[in-house]
Amino acid sequence: MTQLIWNGLFVGSFYALVALGYSMVYGIIKLLNFAHGDLYMLGAFAGFAILGAVGGVSSSMALPVLLAVLVVTMAVTGLAGVALERIAYRPLRRAPRLSLLITAVGASFALEYGMRAAAGADPRVYPLRLGGSSLEVAGARLTVAQLVLVGVAVVLMIGLNLLVTRTREGRAMRAIALDPTTSSLMGIDVNAVISRTFFIGSALAGAAGVMAGAYYGKIDFLMGFLIGLKAFTAAVIGGIGNIPGTMLGGLVLGLLESFGTFWLGGEWRDVFAFGVLILFLTVRPTGLLGERVTERV
Amino acid sequence: MRATPLTSIASLAAVALLATGCGQGLLGGGDGGDTAKTNEPIVLGMLIPQSGSEAAIGPYMSNAAQLAVDEINAKGGVLGRKLQLKTADDACDAQSAAAGANKLVTEGVDVSVGGYCSGATLPTLPIFGKANIPMIIPAANSQELVDQKLKHVFLINGTGTQQAAAAEKWMTKQGAKSVALMHDNTSYSKDIALRTQTLLDAPGGADTALIEAVTPKESDYSANITNVLAKKPDFVYWTGYFQEGGLIARQLRQAGYKGSIMVGDGSVSPKLVEIAGPEAAEGVYATMTQTPDTLEGAEGWIEAYKKKFGAEPGPYSNQAYDAVRLAAEAVGKAGGTDGAKVIAALEAIDGFQMFSGPLKFTPEHTLSNGGFQILVVKDGKIILQDSLK
Repeated sequence: MTQLIWNGLFVGSFYALVALGYSMVYGIIKLLNFAHGDLYMLGAFAGFAILGAVGGVSSSMALPVLLAVLVVTMAVTGLAGVALERIAYRPLRRAPRLSLLITAVGASFALEYGMRAAAGADPRVYPLRLGGSSLEVAGARLTVAQLVLVGVAVVLMIGLNLLVTRTREGRAMRAIALDPTTSSLMGIDVNAVISRTFFIGSALAGAAGVMAGAYYGKIDFLMGFLIGLKAFTAAVIGGIGNIPGTMLGGLVLGLLESFGTFWLGGEWRDVFAFGVLILFLTVRPTGLLGERVTERV
Repeated sequence: MRATPLTSIASLAAVALLATGCGQGLLGGGDGGDTAKTNEPIVLGMLIPQSGSEAAIGPYMSNAAQLAVDEINAKGGVLGRKLQLKTADDACDAQSAAAGANKLVTEGVDVSVGGYCSGATLPTLPIFGKANIPMIIPAANSQELVDQKLKHVFLINGTGTQQAAAAEKWMTKQGAKSVALMHDNTSYSKDIALRTQTLLDAPGGADTALIEAVTPKESDYSANITNVLAKKPDFVYWTGYFQEGGLIARQLRQAGYKGSIMVGDGSVSPKLVEIAGPEAAEGVYATMTQTPDTLEGAEGWIEAYKKKFGAEPGPYSNQAYDAVRLAAEAVGKAGGTDGAKVIAALEAIDGFQMFSGPLKFTPEHTLSNGGFQILVVKDGKIILQDSLK
């Protein structure tokens, strides 16, 4: 039982990290950024390229090196997210919502197949991997690497929450989410704040990408597709646009999958997880912590 | 005469039209046109995944096919005619495959030597059939491909039934008591798992502990593995592809599983070892038809491949290579590219040497001997463990 909970929480923390970017972007400009999962993929490949450039690293240094790579990759994917917004989404900001959605799908394909052209279709394997010894805690087997990754995810999420709720920057984001026109009348540089939102969301996805690469080892150009869908689902479960809700949504989805597999077997996992999602949304369309539709953050 | 730009463009266009007209006349020649195109190359068409989830496989197959084409051409070709390879993308998807097959037919393909994903190969059977083009399918091996008993369809990869039999034989030989079967819910993978289960269910020998389906293309299979380990199996058999296979082997070992792991032929790739990591991959068994690595005298072939493409051959490289050689052999025996004659020649072939052993087709147009053997990962290399003879 504790093993199931731990499996669910571990996977769920990846979902939550990726889902945050979805949620923030939706909260602020009401855009479903379907290319977001591909920024996760981009992060995994950026980390791979940086590790390759650094060269051979002894395994005792693995953790500090990976943390450094994590930070650099977050900057790289953050900038990629900003560029994506500038090129693909900003020119369409006043266009119908549907055009923006189609552009996002297009951006997703462009990133996936652009990466395929650049890095090839073969899966790549991280040169540096977090394996490590496992330990038993209350009947669940977990590794130090897993604990570190969950720790990093929690730190990133707490940091994000502080940023949004405690800083001027965060206040500006929340103001734009409520009413962009009035915000700009109050002297907020709307474009700059939106760019920064994309930077933060994409950096988090990039961090998740590096963590997945370092833990699971295998990366490929389509790896962002499925997790993008899952993250979107997690964001909706938690209440899209609501940051604590999104984190909770990621963990809930991870747990649903873990228990669905255990109760019904692997082939019924998605039927179970998404069936619960449909049921849940018919009862509570705003998600776990989502509030009235007009008050998204 | 001083031509205005407009008239020169018009005359260019006219020339171009004439040229394409000619081209179609020659290529669309069809049956009986052999004498008219004795100097034309023999065109082999190959549908393979070049985009989509299985895009990594495409180059392994097309490179190996090109290698065979070049080798045969270097020896003077077939019937004095050169071979030419044309590839098209099936994206492992039925609609793209049908479009790709139609494209190859209009390009005047004489023999089809492609087909990797069974689901994508199935809709191309009537397209090539109508155009009277024989199909030598190197990799796709679903039972559905031969169930329709189409005259022009030949499979040169072992079938699921043969693979399941080899798997069960090895499990029994290893004294396995309780077997967990894992598949990825695609028709190919599930087929092998279910056929293995049927064999295990017979009295005596090992029993099936559970069948676990996973979702392909994910990274974390810990939930599935928790299920598997709860049944305490001493043998795990994964029948899907190498990307998930590597992750599953690694995560099984991380979860403390000590028993045997075996994978199906879709997982036999150096990438499996790389993804699993050397420690987790060590000792993993595989059911596989003969590969360049396990075939005596194939070192030269691997070298030639590496020299030409700067990379190792991969899954189904050898089958693709053999498909081209077999097509050339059949066209040579038939004395031309007439579909019916080539089919008759293929049916008559007996003892043609391929990687899978001497070839003779069953009345179903499958290999009479699947040639499955057991490989093992040793010191990071996939080598022969037992030929199950």
